[in-house]
Amino acid sequence: MRISGAILVWVFVLVSIPAWSSVFVHWTSATLLPAKELGLYDLVLSWSDRFSPQARAAQRLGYRVYVEVSLGEAATAAENGFEGIILTIRQSERAELEKFLPKLRSAHPKARFLLLNPDGKQPEMRGSLVIKRGSVLGVSSPTAQPWIDTNLALVKIEQRSHPGQAPLYTFSWGGLSDSGPQQSALTAADYMLAVAEAGAFHADLVLELDDRLQKSLGEHDPESWNLWNQVRAYASFYLHTAEQGLKVAANVAVVVDDLATIDEAMNLLARHNIPFEVLRPADLNKEDLQGFDVVVVFANPDRGACERIADLATHGKTVVLVEAHGAYPWQNHDAVRLNEHTVSYTVGTGKVLELSQPVTDPETFAQDIRRLLGKQNVLMSLWNGLTTVAVPYREHGRTVKVLEFVNYAAEPLRLQVQVKGSFASIRYETPEHQCCESLVPVNHNGFTEFVIPQLRIAGRVHLEAN
Amino acid sequence: MGTVFEIAAYDQSTEHASDAIEKAFQEVVRLDDLLSDYKPDSALSKLNRSAHYHAERVPPDLYRVIEQAVQFSRLSDGKFDISIAPLVNLWKAAMRGESTPSRAQEEKLRSCVGYHKIELTPPDLISFRSPCLQLDLGAVGKGYAVDRAAEVLHSLRIHDALIDAGGSTVFAMGSPPGQTAWLVHLRDPSNKIDPQVMLKDGSVSTSEQTAPSLLGNDSAGHIIDPDTGIPLKTVFAVSVVSRTATASDGLSTTLLLLGPTEGKALIKSMSDVSAIWISREAQVETATAGPQILFGRDLQTPLILGTIP
Repeated sequence: MRISGAILVWVFVLVSIPAWSSVFVHWTSATLLPAKELGLYDLVLSWSDRFSPQARAAQRLGYRVYVEVSLGEAATAAENGFEGIILTIRQSERAELEKFLPKLRSAHPKARFLLLNPDGKQPEMRGSLVIKRGSVLGVSSPTAQPWIDTNLALVKIEQRSHPGQAPLYTFSWGGLSDSGPQQSALTAADYMLAVAEAGAFHADLVLELDDRLQKSLGEHDPESWNLWNQVRAYASFYLHTAEQGLKVAANVAVVVDDLATIDEAMNLLARHNIPFEVLRPADLNKEDLQGFDVVVVFANPDRGACERIADLATHGKTVVLVEAHGAYPWQNHDAVRLNEHTVSYTVGTGKVLELSQPVTDPETFAQDIRRLLGKQNVLMSLWNGLTTVAVPYREHGRTVKVLEFVNYAAEPLRLQVQVKGSFASIRYETPEHQCCESLVPVNHNGFTEFVIPQLRIAGRVHLEAN
Repeated sequence: MGTVFEIAAYDQSTEHASDAIEKAFQEVVRLDDLLSDYKPDSALSKLNRSAHYHAERVPPDLYRVIEQAVQFSRLSDGKFDISIAPLVNLWKAAMRGESTPSRAQEEKLRSCVGYHKIELTPPDLISFRSPCLQLDLGAVGKGYAVDRAAEVLHSLRIHDALIDAGGSTVFAMGSPPGQTAWLVHLRDPSNKIDPQVMLKDGSVSTSEQTAPSLLGNDSAGHIIDPDTGIPLKTVFAVSVVSRTATASDGLSTTLLLLGPTEGKALIKSMSDVSAIWISREAQVETATAGPQILFGRDLQTPLILGTIP
């Protein structure tokens, strides 16, 4: 059971100043603080057609200064000596970017260009109570599932879109668009959740700071600094994740034609803690697909992809082809109609499922994918984790090495975890209680179970095999 | 209970409201420790392990919730049955990816099921007259916890509050400032009806079978029909308005299992209860012996749905 709305317990943690951060602070206030004081060194300023005095001042105060520009402004900005140029890329500009970016990098070899996806959403758990003009609309739902807004699917898409760069995204705070006296201030938990999410997903974040927070930090308001010190602690917690060289552990592949849109089914896979990677149809030809047990194809496969799908199934994989209407090579194999819309073909030791319609119910579809994986192939399962998203990482092979947890309810949670593999040592750390508390592993049938005693927002588990 | 509780409360003092909400949450957590079937040390789990042919003393809350659940079983002639746990667990495993249960497995476990095999001896003794009976309070425990949370708020002089358990059970105390009641939208699988109810000191719960698989043979589901031993097949979602959350929670599952025809007959024998069945195709069936249920799409001229035939 999870509870929302209780009083938050504030934890005040002062940390040493990091030398590098995956959190880029978007600063809009005229007053700048020394970087050492703010504790985060990557500052994003808006582009004003030249290297502004503010940018110069920020450099003097110890920041690495990035400037956020559109595609058309990039060339000019690159000549101004910034630490990096952040290109904000809307969906409609992605095709143009593919052509433009190599030329830009070639013309400005010393400039660092980072591609920013601005389509993130504020991470949060949405309950059922909707406050509206003093009354409450309670939306009755049969699922008993709180809705979670997570950026995990977006990060997966970015990982495939720009393999050479850590995914970089930003979002607008939901409550800040309606300015006015009723607007509620962002809490420490809001910022910490945003930082935790990006860190846990091994992504970089351009963090928008509320104007009032920037101002009050500048005025050295103790309450604001208490808030900010907690955010800093979270940023510090994720400081070295990129250096560990861990790879995402996933055994579900999602194949899409269009990387510009996120199918809601991907959001629900993320929401149900089914680790997946996003691929393009051309990736099906790669040899390293052995790690995937289920391949979900939203793309329209060409002849080569069809042959590869058949090959994957022959070797024991389950392939789900969504909106399948064509003639495919596996259709001469044994077929079973599972329901009105789905036919299953037995191909070698695996199978191909053709779903004749789009995914009409992403929630059910995600549960179906978990069922298709089968009990022995589920990488991880959570109990009491309705509000939690977990991401597994591996070092070599398929064995999970690290699990990152994000609790969107932002209140302490006791979480039961099962992870595939036999592990002798489970160590747990959080930004509030750093490394490491040993947890008791229980091994059986090739899986390890353990209980996380308290997950507030962020937590990390290190697994050591027997 | 595997859900998220939310509480909104109005009071002159924000601090007092926060404190009261915190205490109400503590009560819910306490009850979860008693009624959870996923926690091995809960009072329910202990009872499920040890009460076969042997009376066990249980905490008062566990006794009370089982006693009330058995009343729903009697009312529905066994359609609602908390002893369904062995079959629920079997089908939950199928939903998690294990193989679909065989007929033989179902038959074997069906012999374990039967509310009349639960022996209640006041004030706090319970035994099972079966070697394999187990209880699942999933259809009533959440409502009971909501009622107890409401009691806590009342005891702390909070009079206007809304308690929501996962969106499927809502209890309204008093009303928001300047309003006569809380407006609660009900589950509408058709997205065409938008039923609503004005709740004041009452509760509404919704039950609906797990959506059919897109890639499977539609056999799984979390609500099991005790008569057949397999997941209930129904096109409806049911919302029930009642005085207490325990009643609305238990009755929503009961009325889903009974269906509209038998369900309406059951409501006729009760007071202060209303129900609405809605299918994905917008078929609507109602029974009203209590609060009125309104069509949201036509609130200019509110249409009160149905009466008991």
